[in-house]
Amino acid sequence: MVAIWCRWFAEIMVEKSGMTATPLLRAEGVRKIYRTGAVEVEALRGLDLEVEAGELVAVMGPSGSGKTTLLNCLSGLDDIDGGRVILGGVDLFAMPDARRTEHRARTMGFVFQAFNLIPVFTAVENVELPLLLVGVAPAQARRRAADMLERVGLGARGAHRPNELSGGEQQRVTIARALVARPAIVWADEPTGNLDSEMAAQVMDLLRTLNRDEGQTIILVTHDPGIGAAAGRLIRMRDGALISDERRAPANGPVPSAPSASSMAASPPAPSSPSAPEAPDALTSAV
Amino acid sequence: MYPELTRPLLVLLVAAAAALITVAAVRPFLRRLALRQVSRRPLEAVLVIAGSLLGTAIIVGSFAVGDTIDHSVRNTAFRTLGPVDEEVYSNDLTRGDAATRRLAALRVDPDVDGLLTVVADKAAVSRGTGAARVAEPQAQVFEADFAAAATFGDRGADGRDGSHLSGANPAPGSAVVNTELADSLGLRAGDTVTAYLYGQPTQLRVERVVPARGLAALGFANINRDLFVAPGTLAAAAARAGGDNSPSTITLVSNRGGVESGSTLTDAVEQKIRTALGGLTTSGAQVTTPKKDALATAEDVAGQLGSLFLFIGSFSIIAGVLLLVNVFVMLTDERRGQLGMLRAMGMRRRRLISAFLLEGSIYGVVAAALGVAAGIGVGWAVVLVAAQIFAAFQDGGNALELTFAITPTSLFNGFAAGFLIAFATIAATSARVSRLNIIAAIRDLPDGVGRKPRRSLLVGSALLAVLCTAAAVPAVASSEGMTTYLFPALAVLFAVPLARRFAGTRAVSTVASALVLAWGLLANIARPDVYDNGSTATYVVLGVMVTGAAVVLLSVNQDIVLRPLRLLTARAGETGLAARLAVTYPTSRKFRTGATLLMYSLIIFTLVIITEMGAIIGAGTDQAVVEASAGYAIRADVAPSTLINDPQLTLRSGDLAGQITEVTPLTIGRGTSDDPTGRSDTPLPVVLIGLPAAAATSHPLALDSWLPSLGADEKAAWRGIVADSRYVVLDPYFNSTTGPNTDQVKPGATITLTDPATGRAQKKIIAAKVENALPYYSFPAQPPAYPVFAGADTVRAIYGDGAQDTSLLIRAAPGVSDERLAATLQGRFLANGLIANRIERDVRRTFAANVSFFRLMQGYLALGLLVGIIGLGVVMVRAVRERRRTIGILRALGVRSRTVTLAFLGESAFVAIEGIVLGAGLSLLTSWLMYTNSPAFGGLDVAFPVDWATIGPTVGATLVASLLASAGPARRAAAIRPAVAVRVAD
Repeated sequence: MVAIWCRWFAEIMVEKSGMTATPLLRAEGVRKIYRTGAVEVEALRGLDLEVEAGELVAVMGPSGSGKTTLLNCLSGLDDIDGGRVILGGVDLFAMPDARRTEHRARTMGFVFQAFNLIPVFTAVENVELPLLLVGVAPAQARRRAADMLERVGLGARGAHRPNELSGGEQQRVTIARALVARPAIVWADEPTGNLDSEMAAQVMDLLRTLNRDEGQTIILVTHDPGIGAAAGRLIRMRDGALISDERRAPANGPVPSAPSASSMAASPPAPSSPSAPEAPDALTSAV
Repeated sequence: MYPELTRPLLVLLVAAAAALITVAAVRPFLRRLALRQVSRRPLEAVLVIAGSLLGTAIIVGSFAVGDTIDHSVRNTAFRTLGPVDEEVYSNDLTRGDAATRRLAALRVDPDVDGLLTVVADKAAVSRGTGAARVAEPQAQVFEADFAAAATFGDRGADGRDGSHLSGANPAPGSAVVNTELADSLGLRAGDTVTAYLYGQPTQLRVERVVPARGLAALGFANINRDLFVAPGTLAAAAARAGGDNSPSTITLVSNRGGVESGSTLTDAVEQKIRTALGGLTTSGAQVTTPKKDALATAEDVAGQLGSLFLFIGSFSIIAGVLLLVNVFVMLTDERRGQLGMLRAMGMRRRRLISAFLLEGSIYGVVAAALGVAAGIGVGWAVVLVAAQIFAAFQDGGNALELTFAITPTSLFNGFAAGFLIAFATIAATSARVSRLNIIAAIRDLPDGVGRKPRRSLLVGSALLAVLCTAAAVPAVASSEGMTTYLFPALAVLFAVPLARRFAGTRAVSTVASALVLAWGLLANIARPDVYDNGSTATYVVLGVMVTGAAVVLLSVNQDIVLRPLRLLTARAGETGLAARLAVTYPTSRKFRTGATLLMYSLIIFTLVIITEMGAIIGAGTDQAVVEASAGYAIRADVAPSTLINDPQLTLRSGDLAGQITEVTPLTIGRGTSDDPTGRSDTPLPVVLIGLPAAAATSHPLALDSWLPSLGADEKAAWRGIVADSRYVVLDPYFNSTTGPNTDQVKPGATITLTDPATGRAQKKIIAAKVENALPYYSFPAQPPAYPVFAGADTVRAIYGDGAQDTSLLIRAAPGVSDERLAATLQGRFLANGLIANRIERDVRRTFAANVSFFRLMQGYLALGLLVGIIGLGVVMVRAVRERRRTIGILRALGVRSRTVTLAFLGESAFVAIEGIVLGAGLSLLTSWLMYTNSPAFGGLDVAFPVDWATIGPTVGATLVASLLASAGPARRAAAIRPAVAVRVAD
């Protein structure tokens, strides 16, 4: 309880003082080199980037431009060869792998082109997994997972296994899984790549709604110009470097449910942090 | 077996179980994940369990063999000795009376609950006359006080058999016989037998037949055809026969407690007996501890046989471990995306390992439990076959009755060992596979792309390479078996990561595996003494090293091996396509193909080596007969109390004159020796065989090596040995349980021989080693002893009156049947208790029994082939599942289902043939190199035999079984509907 009160107090103080929050994500001079035998390919060339909490950032660029590498490196899934990545005030690559893994569990969600759901688990069991990993009590995890599935429009499909769901449904389950632990940031790599246009639209609507209504920070990699155009911020890449960074619309301001970078630095989310506010009805109707 | 392992195994089992239960309780989602993964693929779960249970079955089966031997030998000891724990022999009545008087003081000793003195000697016993006569040339004749015998010793709480000798003493002119003698001669109460007491035929009426148990089975262990006569009968007969004949006196001592528990007091009571006897121990009274010795033998033989089967089975256990590794690597392949996602979501490696361990432990527990049941069956089958082989070894005595037994300790140890091996394998494999590249796993990319080699691995392995190199130098210099092979191989292995900094993976793997293979094959040329310590671990390391290196060499160079197949794979049409598919998949999946190849090649390698060893032994039989017999057809043994007068003349006169050309008397003395091989601290039983000076001219046994000072000529060497009382000759199997001693005992070394009657010890020089002394390992009604040869005078000088000319070597005239001559001699000299041993038949029978034993080991090892075949089946089942989409596309493109079947069967055949050829080829090469270079085979003058008649069907059956194991998956692959396969991801 003390931790919750401290966190709440810190957030209030930040807001009241009118201070600009520290960027949620800051990448400084990030370099990534792939080695294949004697051949070295520099996939990221000293890349700098800052992302504020509540932004929906689309990353576009031709194949081989380094989009996915950017996502993998900034999320700490892959090692980097230079620079540093600070997420929520914490230098990802200054931590050992086990700590980084734990940090990932508490602050990040992932949506990939391949759904990668656990085939032996039902939809609700898949969604509750991130909560169980950070030590949320099983009953609470199940309740929050069911709520999350409800919010992505799959409330009635919770007991179904992945092979009993359509592609769009499976991707919505992965989105629910990515969001259920209320991560500071969601990384999405071609989240609609395996879906038809109708399904893809549904998934993108869901992500946009989460960003707009809940201030969820999302960084997504896409080939689809339509998706890129709809994002609040569009980053273009070529040959491992940023070539443009456009903000189409003001980034959404932080909302109470989305932790700010400073608050995360002060106190990482506790395993049994208070559940998110009820989703607006519009969210479910949107999907 | 191995009760000392129970506690550590229990600790490890409890630790593993506690870890698993904790994870399952604290992380329910991991438990759920594990349980559902197991139930998701029932067929594969069954195959994994079937493959894994064989490891436990082999362990339990080996333990069962050991337990059975232990139980059977112990049972025989308890049955035939009853309450007797110690015996005091005196070779005449006067000394016997003196010993009995001195021992009477022990009647009040709290550690002793029985003393009984019996009078004994050997005699021939026959029933019937003429052609209907049946005889037992050397039965044991006893005089005992039946009333005292009935109360002798305490049956005790262990409830074992007591004395079994009770009732009234046999009346003069009557006898009581035990069932062993009664069965041998077909006797019943009321029959009349003739006992040749000191050569004097004495008619005795059989008063009753008693079970051959306890005191009614006195004698040596399982040779106890006993006849009990009225007190005074033997002494009277000896007096009638004249001379210095006298029966022996044996004072039997029973320790406090029952038949079994009393033996624990043996050391203390033996000391008290020696104290009571005082000076008599050095003047003819010998103290023996038959029960303690029998129990030690039981433990020793059981341990050796159990270990032997465990050693043979260890190759199958290794194959089972490889199967588990392969299965879990394949499971990881299948679940790569899920595992990558779990890691991305924040699941730590530790939890990933826990999930795998939970899943693997479910397979492990079920497999270990079923393995215990299967192991009991395996052990029972082995015992069944072994009993027949043992029966062939036991000619002349009552065969050791093998009674199947397995102890709860063995069952627990087998279960725990089986489970813990699986647990450790899964833990190691999971730790390895959990280091997956998250990105590569999620995006289904090849693992390792863009990853820097870990510096810690590089430094650690380089350090280990240096350490292993340093350790290899003294190991190789001293020819220490296992480490001579292991350390250089490990040094090369650990140098691989560093070498990869300077050269490509393929080049490094090729060079490293070639080096290890070359060292494995050629080490025993550089270090011929490498097998001298007789350790089975050396052979296990050699087998794994040679086959492992060859598999790696083959795996990284498959393209070169496959070049000759281009004609087939490059063919147009569906046959060419099927061939291409058949070789492309296994060569692209290097790890799983390599693991399967290793399973096959390791088992085939060992199977063929054992076949070859059997073949070499079989091929050496004729030579062994020549060497062991030296042209003599028969060794005749007579009872010490009824020696044949002037045997050289007696046996070559009358109608025997034309049948026997030479008779050489052997002077026999029995005692103990130290162990010149240094393997044993306890005194070894030896039988000293003295040759007369005249025998040197016909050099009775071929010599393997001798002191150079004895001359270059073998006959001259024998002459020198027989004439010089400093010299003795050993045989190559002296105190050996694993094979011939090679260079451990060399001429020039010394051996100390002790006379048990006087306790006097004499040091002798080992002047030579004979090639083969097989016919001299057993003498009638005597425990087995290691033969030591010397001049007759040397033997008499050591044993005095204890040395007697009780054996005769007989050379038959050309064309005379040794069988007929043996029958003639036994009939003619029945009163002397003559037993004629046909040397050639005995040697051939021993060799045949050895070959049978090799066959039994082959059958045992063949269980490992099942692991390989199941392993291939698992790979093929997984292959069908993984390639559903590809197969669907091929079918959609117009490839016929028959072609798909052919491709799968071809793939299976390809892997099986490579494994079989690799294993068999390496094995033949290794056994040929051993045959041509090892001193152990140095004496064999036959060409290297290749037992194609066994190897051919073995590899053929393996190939057919492999194809059958793949037939199901191939059929399922062919039945895949394109429309479904291309749509459904899983």
